[in-house]
Amino acid sequence: MKNLKKTLCLLLAVLMTVSLLAGCGSKDSDNKDGKKVFTVGIDAEYPPFSYLGDDGNYTGFDIEIAQAACDQLGWEMKVFPVNWDQKLVQLDGKECDCIWSGMTILDSMKEAGYTLSAPYYDNTQVIMVKEGSDIKSSADLAGKVVAVQQGTSGDALLSEDGDLASLTATFQSLVRCDSFLKCFTELSGGAVDAVIVDKPVATSYADKNGGFTVLSEELGAEQYGIAFRADDKELCASIEGAVKTLVDNGTYAKIAEKYPDIVNNLLFLN
Amino acid sequence: MTLSTMILKMCEGLGSTCAIFFLTLLFSLPLGMLFALLRMSKNKVVSSVMRFIISVLRGTPLMLQLLAVTYGPHYLINDLGVARNKLIPVVIAFAINYAAYFAEIYRGGIDSMPVGQYEAAGVLGYTKIQTFMRIILPQVVKRIMPSITNEVVTLVKDTSIAFCVSYEELFTIGKQIANSQTSFTPFLIAGIFYFVFNGLVDVVMGRIEKRMDYYQ
Repeated sequence: MKNLKKTLCLLLAVLMTVSLLAGCGSKDSDNKDGKKVFTVGIDAEYPPFSYLGDDGNYTGFDIEIAQAACDQLGWEMKVFPVNWDQKLVQLDGKECDCIWSGMTILDSMKEAGYTLSAPYYDNTQVIMVKEGSDIKSSADLAGKVVAVQQGTSGDALLSEDGDLASLTATFQSLVRCDSFLKCFTELSGGAVDAVIVDKPVATSYADKNGGFTVLSEELGAEQYGIAFRADDKELCASIEGAVKTLVDNGTYAKIAEKYPDIVNNLLFLN
Repeated sequence: MTLSTMILKMCEGLGSTCAIFFLTLLFSLPLGMLFALLRMSKNKVVSSVMRFIISVLRGTPLMLQLLAVTYGPHYLINDLGVARNKLIPVVIAFAINYAAYFAEIYRGGIDSMPVGQYEAAGVLGYTKIQTFMRIILPQVVKRIMPSITNEVVTLVKDTSIAFCVSYEELFTIGKQIANSQTSFTPFLIAGIFYFVFNGLVDVVMGRIEKRMDYYQ
């Protein structure tokens, strides 16, 4: 009996060590058929660009385009949901090959040397409030509590050295949540008075859930792009090339049709 | 951002972290005793209900409990709002969760006392409450101190979970700075802060343990 226990223990120990080692080294950039594996880092809670679809798979405009581009190149695409406020650290850590998920191109990214694709989407920030709120414009936000998702462009705009820092100064406080859903829950629960969020996210959420109003005022214009590591210029060029082909052969427009909230701001189509 | 502004900003966060830490201890230590006594109740219904509650509290992630306490009421009844001051739901969730762990530590301590002591106390004319307060409890506290220290050290690190309900504590601010500066330094600073904090906890708890070593 004692021997059996010992053997079992030893076996378990060996198994654990082996599985530990198996974790290393298996991160290859090619799969078994010799196809290149392209790992796309996404924010899994960012509809309509990237989100968990009804069928339990990640979907969204960016993911469909990425998939189509990979098909074009004959690569295998993998989706890797990142922790959005750590996305660049995770990109540097080679957990994914790019960040492609409604990502705003920031000056700080250029300064840090990341390879950035040509912008593909004009993004604006909007203010979302509860229906019947007395907030009608950004001026009414004075003395209010405002929520924003941490690490998003809204956060960057409203932070101390951002373009809208003077607006932030009028708030009672700025609350940073780790997902949009939490921002919206805080709003519906009355813990915050307004949420500053990317326009497509606001409109798609307000359409699906009643009780919210998206103000027409648009704050801070910026553009979405794809971020690659500094030394991945070639990879960026291949992806840009594949996307260009998709635009030319009409696939891009076909995918965009499925996302009416964003189609008007897509730079390649307008 | 210079290193000193970074550290200064994170010190602000440290205040919020300390608030969670001390308030949680303040409420969970006595609450844990209540849980333990209910858990050891002679009434089968009371003890099994408490046992179930403790197993739920220990068997589900603290992050989930935090979300449930903060947003749960609003999801269940739409009229109930979400608390503006996040410290309240955070401390409630932490205190209940830690009380469950403390309860089991207390129970272990109380169960470890030999029956002979109760019998002897009975012979000497101590009432049940007197026996517990004057004879059992002081010895239990001594015995469980190392386990309590263990939990307290874990609590220091667990405070970073409060981020999931948008409570800005040390680690949240560290992440914010790391993101805006694309630098790893804030994490390093946060690590040092937690380590020093726990160093202090170690020293304080060690002193308390030593004080209680009056039989040796």
